[in-house]
Amino acid sequence: MTNQIAAQNSATQSPREVAVRASHVTMDFGGVLAVNDASFELEKGRFLTILGPSGSGKTTLLRMIAGFQKQTAGEITINGKPVDAAPPHRRSIGMVFQKLALFPHMTAAENVAFPLKMRRFNPRQIAGRVDQFLDLVKLGGYGNRRINELSGGQQQRVAIARALVFEPDLLLLDEPLAALDVKLREEMQLEFRRIQHELGVTTINVTHDQREALVVSDNIIVMDGGRIQQQAEPVELYRAPENPFVAGFLGLSSFVEGTATADGNMQVGDLVVQGEPADDFAAGTKVLAAIRAEQIRLAGTREALGNCDMKLEGRVSDTIFEGERQMYVVEVGALSGATFRVYHHDPDSFGLFHVGDTVALGWNRRDLKIFSPAA
Amino acid sequence: MPEIPSKDDPRTTFRYPLRWRIMDALNNGLDRFWPARMSPYTGWALIMPALLLVGLLVLGLFEMAESSLHTLDRATFLPSEAYTLENYQTVIESATYGRVVTRSVFAAGLTVFFTLLLALPYAYIMVRTTSSVVRKTLLVVLFLPFFIGQVVRAYGLLIILGTTGVANNALGLVGIEPIRLLFNFPAVVFGLVQYMLPFAVLMLAPALTAIPRETETAASSLGANWLQSFRHVVIPMAKPGLIGAGLVVGTLALTDFAMPAMLGGGSQDFIANAIYDQFFRTADQGLGAALALLLVVLGSVIVGVVISIFGAGTLGMGGKK
Repeated sequence: MTNQIAAQNSATQSPREVAVRASHVTMDFGGVLAVNDASFELEKGRFLTILGPSGSGKTTLLRMIAGFQKQTAGEITINGKPVDAAPPHRRSIGMVFQKLALFPHMTAAENVAFPLKMRRFNPRQIAGRVDQFLDLVKLGGYGNRRINELSGGQQQRVAIARALVFEPDLLLLDEPLAALDVKLREEMQLEFRRIQHELGVTTINVTHDQREALVVSDNIIVMDGGRIQQQAEPVELYRAPENPFVAGFLGLSSFVEGTATADGNMQVGDLVVQGEPADDFAAGTKVLAAIRAEQIRLAGTREALGNCDMKLEGRVSDTIFEGERQMYVVEVGALSGATFRVYHHDPDSFGLFHVGDTVALGWNRRDLKIFSPAA
Repeated sequence: MPEIPSKDDPRTTFRYPLRWRIMDALNNGLDRFWPARMSPYTGWALIMPALLLVGLLVLGLFEMAESSLHTLDRATFLPSEAYTLENYQTVIESATYGRVVTRSVFAAGLTVFFTLLLALPYAYIMVRTTSSVVRKTLLVVLFLPFFIGQVVRAYGLLIILGTTGVANNALGLVGIEPIRLLFNFPAVVFGLVQYMLPFAVLMLAPALTAIPRETETAASSLGANWLQSFRHVVIPMAKPGLIGAGLVVGTLALTDFAMPAMLGGGSQDFIANAIYDQFFRTADQGLGAALALLLVVLGSVIVGVVISIFGAGTLGMGGKK
């Protein structure tokens, strides 16, 4: 119930107040730019995920927002106030750590009470508040357990309750789900979403797991090499990547190199490949095209493909069974041997095509994005 | 490609390297001497020498217990024939020995307190610093006194704290008359703390290393300043190390000989000094043995009480209290 109301709120109430603003934030570790001129805004009550491979600077950016590290240039404001001079314990930020960092010498309830005691809440309200938040994370009745008496999932929940119990302005999640097995991870992703919707707390999550980012977030920032590559809502980010990195990092894309034509398409050899330009490039320059594995159709013959803007023949060079679908690697001679990875859902008979078979590939123009590679 | 002959190929004529053959022969001999079915007892066999060594000490204790039951005949300088508890009575009734025991226990307590107080920040910085130069410097400074030995160290303190020493010279610069810094109780405690600090730091360092850095980071994100974080997180989590270090420092200080002898100048005797006097000055073996056994009992009782209240800390080898 509350979920739906909160979800509606986030859809209708705009424009909203900005909760976190980073402007030109840079972190220079002795010549290595861990974060390079990062600027973004996050509206109040939103769930933002910073997504990137390891070493992309996403954790450094989060640690600067938390106050554990001081940026070498740029400014961070939380609720309109610059926080650069404030140490972590003076910022109103709850954080869930990768290794949880629960206090092993305290019970679950004592862990949750810790920030309330440190922040000098009214001692008479502490017990009630601790119970309320243990209930929120579905751990009512577990307060007296020691940390090592709780399961991995329960420890996650204690860590969440501890980070939220003092009603911080901002919740930071530093890859807390990375170490969990897949089932538990997916369960906890939905839990994070439920709790975030229930409390409406502004949240920044850091992860390298693209699925997690798409599932939990209202907004995603993709980082690589210390730079913000793109910030967008999940669907837009997936559908309209702004550069080859984002196209390759989310989902499974195949890339083809070629030369730009005057009308914004791409030429490979004699063949003109129709696509959608993702940025501006001059005719004759080298360009890179990307298309996702699920946006390519596969059939035995061109006719069987149905309506497609682009149809080509290829040869199957590898087949990989992934359970719910089959992935084919297809080599296209007309595109100077470029390989395409294609997902094929085939409810009736798995393994319709075999290595060496000649197959027809097809896609629609809008699904092939063309980038200038040095963007 | 050159053909590699198979192991069983009759054409392969080679000898294993000498070192391999020696090791193989040793292994074969060992297999015959200590067959595989004996392997459950291997551990016991390996600790036998150590057990024998400690057992010898226990044997000595029994002998000492025996001699503590004979008084010294002042006329013949031979121990009495009859068994008597007179030596223990002498120790218990003597005001001097009462003072010596109180002094030893009190000094050991003070030494534990000050040593842990100084060792905790030292070990903490050594473990937490991000600079390897700082860590190595702290380690070297910590180990240097080990190479010097207790007697030379005590002698060094005699020179530094003497009436014409560095300390008094420094006081003289600010216009303070030379004061007697040596041969009193504080001097002995000072020497003991200085002596025990490396032991305590070395015992605390692993306990502090076991505290994840992220736990402290978490405390600070939850609103704790560094003092609160130290009090509510670091010290409780380092408790096993503090207890282990406290027990080691306390027992070493309680039984110390050199510091009270040299820095106390004979006026600040500990139990060990009293024992020495009986054995080697008055040659009253019986009284010395009685004192020694009392020291063993006293130390065991104190350690026992501490362990029953706080647990054995890192000395418990991870076993539950």
